[in-house]
Amino acid sequence: MRTVLASTLLVLPLWSAFAAAPPENVRAYLTGHCTKCHSGEKPKGKLDLESLAADFSVDADRRRWQIVAERVKAGTMPPKTQPRPAAGDVQMLTDWIGSQAAAAETARRAAHGRTVLRRLNRVEYENTVRDLLRIEVDLKEALPADTAADGFDNAGLALHTSSFLLEKYLDAAETALNLAIVNGPQPPLVKKRFSFKDERAVKVATEKVFLARDDDLVMFSSSPWNSITTGQFYPQNRGIYRIRVSASGHQSAGQPVSFQIDAGPMLMGTKNHLVGYFEAAADQPTIVEFTDHFEARNTLRVLPYGLATAQAVNKIGAEKYEGPGLAVQWVEYEGPLYDQWPPASHRRIFGDLQQAKVPIQSDRNHLEVVSSDPASDAKEIFHRFVYRAFRRTVTDDDIAPFVALFEQKLAAQYTFEQAVRVALKGVLVSPEFLFFRERPGRLDDFALASRLSYFLWSTMPDDELLSLAGEGKLEQPGVLREQVERMLKSPQSRALTENFLSQWLGLRDIDFTVPDHLMYPEYDDLLKTSMVEETQRFFEEILKEDLSLTNFVASDFTFANERLARHYGIPGVKGHALVKVALPPELHRGGVMTMGSVLKVTANGTTTSPIVRGAWVLERIMGTPPPPPPGGVPAIEPDIRGATTIREQLAKHRQIESCANCHKLIDPPGFALESFDVIGGWRDFYRTRGGGKAVVVDGKRMYYGRGKDIDPADELQGGRRFQNIDEFKQLLLEDKDQLARALATKLLTYATGRAPEAADKAEVDAVVAKIRDKNYGLRSLVHEIVQSSIFQSK
Amino acid sequence: MKLSRRSFLRAGGVSLALPLFDAVLDRQSRGALNADPPRRLVCICAPLGLHGPNLFPQQAGRDYESTPYLDLLKDFRDDLTVISGLAHPGVDSGHDSIFSFLTAAQHPERRAGFKNSISLDQLAAEKIGTQTRFPSLTLSAEGFSLSWTRSGALVPSDVWPASVFARLFLEGKPEEVQKQIRRLQDGRSILDQVGDQARRMQAGLGAGDRDKLDEYFSSVRELEQRLAANEEWSHKPKPKVEAQQPQNAMNAADLVGKTKLLFDLTHLAFQTDSTRLITIMLLGTSLVPPIPGVSDGHHNLSHHGQDPGKLEQLRKVELEKMRLLAELLGKLKQSQEAGGNLLDRTSVFFSSNLGNASSHSCTNLPVILAGGGFKHGQHLAVDASTPLSNLYVSLLQRLGLEIGEFGTSTGTLTGLEVAG
Repeated sequence: MRTVLASTLLVLPLWSAFAAAPPENVRAYLTGHCTKCHSGEKPKGKLDLESLAADFSVDADRRRWQIVAERVKAGTMPPKTQPRPAAGDVQMLTDWIGSQAAAAETARRAAHGRTVLRRLNRVEYENTVRDLLRIEVDLKEALPADTAADGFDNAGLALHTSSFLLEKYLDAAETALNLAIVNGPQPPLVKKRFSFKDERAVKVATEKVFLARDDDLVMFSSSPWNSITTGQFYPQNRGIYRIRVSASGHQSAGQPVSFQIDAGPMLMGTKNHLVGYFEAAADQPTIVEFTDHFEARNTLRVLPYGLATAQAVNKIGAEKYEGPGLAVQWVEYEGPLYDQWPPASHRRIFGDLQQAKVPIQSDRNHLEVVSSDPASDAKEIFHRFVYRAFRRTVTDDDIAPFVALFEQKLAAQYTFEQAVRVALKGVLVSPEFLFFRERPGRLDDFALASRLSYFLWSTMPDDELLSLAGEGKLEQPGVLREQVERMLKSPQSRALTENFLSQWLGLRDIDFTVPDHLMYPEYDDLLKTSMVEETQRFFEEILKEDLSLTNFVASDFTFANERLARHYGIPGVKGHALVKVALPPELHRGGVMTMGSVLKVTANGTTTSPIVRGAWVLERIMGTPPPPPPGGVPAIEPDIRGATTIREQLAKHRQIESCANCHKLIDPPGFALESFDVIGGWRDFYRTRGGGKAVVVDGKRMYYGRGKDIDPADELQGGRRFQNIDEFKQLLLEDKDQLARALATKLLTYATGRAPEAADKAEVDAVVAKIRDKNYGLRSLVHEIVQSSIFQSK
Repeated sequence: MKLSRRSFLRAGGVSLALPLFDAVLDRQSRGALNADPPRRLVCICAPLGLHGPNLFPQQAGRDYESTPYLDLLKDFRDDLTVISGLAHPGVDSGHDSIFSFLTAAQHPERRAGFKNSISLDQLAAEKIGTQTRFPSLTLSAEGFSLSWTRSGALVPSDVWPASVFARLFLEGKPEEVQKQIRRLQDGRSILDQVGDQARRMQAGLGAGDRDKLDEYFSSVRELEQRLAANEEWSHKPKPKVEAQQPQNAMNAADLVGKTKLLFDLTHLAFQTDSTRLITIMLLGTSLVPPIPGVSDGHHNLSHHGQDPGKLEQLRKVELEKMRLLAELLGKLKQSQEAGGNLLDRTSVFFSSNLGNASSHSCTNLPVILAGGGFKHGQHLAVDASTPLSNLYVSLLQRLGLEIGEFGTSTGTLTGLEVAG
């Protein structure tokens, strides 16, 4: 079918046959500079400019025109071998494309608004249910993964609904309501202190790695199987528990000994989470205290960090072993902790309605909420609940469907509470709960409250935002500014780090590969955790202190702990807590591109690719994403046998003109980053498996050999040469406006669920202009984004 | 080779269940014994690829010389075709190609404008799914599924074989069944109400927004139908099997254990006619699979960089996949059904979204097609421009669907014929 159409087009005369033909001067330009290659039966790059209609209301056509503008503007088209078009002509063409795209977009927006109706993604869904019901619950794992667009998983266009998803929502709603509503008395508070000496793991250990003494148990090995998963803390009831651990460094020569604590079901294959890395002072009991949410029958696991392997300790035996160990005196737990009973989650739904015994088959003491005036109590419950769930004021009409559900179930002999539960389940799958309610034009105050809240907190607006919206005050610039400040100061703004930052930089892929332990023996989990935390803390610091966003490209500080400092070569950092540290210039660090986390997610665990890293920098930092790779071009085959380098392989690639056009844009940033290996370590040479000179580290012969030397030099557009990563960063800093535009675009995309387009260019530039005088401060940028009309309109 | 519409209806309409030796026959399935036996499809994806040089024979045609991977499938040489050269046109290099593996949607990428299309199993489920208790099963060893709806949404996957087994074969206690029926009824009452709300929301919205609400509407409608069907099925006894409920493989790296459980489940589900459509996403993690001689993470091994040591470990991992596939084929072949065996009625499609995982390329995909009543026994080497969708059209037609195109197809797969 498609082929038939294409060949029909061939016999058509030029643009004149099309209703939507470009104006004469544009046609003249195209004929003069483009159509020699970009027309005919096999147009280059599959771009046939003779048949490309100038109908900018068609998304696909508009995008093609925009790519034309980008190439021409960047000077990559026409190719170097062809005569250069006059600067004025280039301007004429790009202006025409820009204005056409903007006009089409403006027309569409007037009718429909810029964004597309967006539903909560699974992270937002879980957070919203958590805050609506005041419960701790993991729901997102039960929902199918969301698809992303423009780099973020909250893009309206990409978020689809299916019957399967709806079915999962029904299940999730039931799970959540079962946790929020209680049908029994408060679980008893248990407080207990115990010793690791009594742990089964210690008693049945076949390796001599534990030493039981009068007052403590010493753990000498850091091998994962020598961790202690405690059987003595195994709560029967879910809830918040306070945990205290007393531990000290043993035979540690005055140095603290580190350990890690994990919490979770601790069964194979289940998801546990890291509570943290802690330090126990030498010979001096240190008490570590934390509270955490535990599901029933979940528990804790303790493992010393950085000590010897099981084999090394076992060979000598714990009794005679003279190396350092972790002495654990006792562990104490207390919980589940509740402020009140029934808990807040229950009261938020039912208010002060009383519970009474309603025996059921499985529980004779089963309690249920009862009502002497079901109709009016239910209505009150629904008004209260639906207002928060829909994130706006509600009328009797809004709650009518839920009243109807309630009455229907009551008529079917359901009890009051059972009927209320069905109706609340209905609220949680209602389109008004699942979707954002945004109307074309300027957002009303409630829609604005939601947009703001999902931007900064990834969850529903809290009571203050909702009441300001109810009073119609939120749209006032001063009020909005105050609210942004309040929200950024709240711990909930951690969501911006977790959801914006991690997607902007791709940190969610940190576990996608585990580097080969023979090629990268220095890699461990603490390093990985520290890398990610470094980037997070760095972002939060820049946001908190309104530091310049140019710090993302180059900075004279970062955050590091002892482990990460060792990786980077920063002297004098002790302990596991990340602290702000100054970066000596000779370390070539500073900014996100040279952080371990970013360097790891842009590599594959075995090799680095300047293409992947270059595209990453173009897309995420420079704001000039490369076009997607053309089909049919064989990818470079990575080879670590040492005979060839990626630069040599790419050189062949770049000799082909059609490849060179993009690759001379993509590769240079990637080459600059070749000085960093797959785990973000500095390197002067490639590690190879194909022989090469022996490499010795700390007296140990490494499994890998010394391969060819790294060559990080290259040049950017316009012949701007750089010798290394430092010079490359300086070149990027020459156009600070562009860096700001790039980040503003990312933030706007994330904040509104759709990437800004041509029609928004002026507004994005205005945002950039406003922060130019504020040293490009990141906090200022967030404020200006919230104040912008892009943010405040659908 | 195309079934007529009439014969399709005859085949589909009455053959409700054919649980033979392991299962209790209910009245309907007794009646069905004389009808055409059902046709089935299982699509399996190894997301980290299969090393081509170990799989593809040098020679095309029937007289090919076996390869290390095909050696493990030698008992099934006449029951399978190995196909080289296939790719999805417009599906670019990279792990994102997994989105399009069963949909053929072009340019899967995380940018605006990409919308996935329906996967072939879900398309088939729309037509033949109502004939079984489960329209389809979307199994996964790691969480991500291969199946997509018409609206471009990911179908959630089942990762725990024990719970799937329970849903398929274990009867709950009477009060649990009652509770489940009540839950289904509550669900239908709720859907009734929320559909109306979506209609009210539509006022004043633009076309793009309406599309989104339309997705919601159709989801409500489809789910209503499914809940109604589920309610009907919940009054009928489940098939009984001799097999015990399996223990889930809890080690997240356990490629072999997880695959085996999913394959065993596939065999049981087909044998009892609980479903006729299954997709399976195999494990492809960064972890070290517990296989003797393997010390590197699986993902890392796929990025072997031509290192002989890594290639050797990768071979060990992939040989296990082949061994497990052989086991599945064996089970299907041994299961008799109405004068034939299950394998003859089940198209087993085993492949990967990656052609060469080391460079993330998506051309020359490794394809093994077994069973399904095709003429097998050859290495079918097709032109590099042949769309994988052509094979999908052949597979869909084999299921009895009157479909002439799918995704980027240009026809059926030339060289693949139905057995006489």
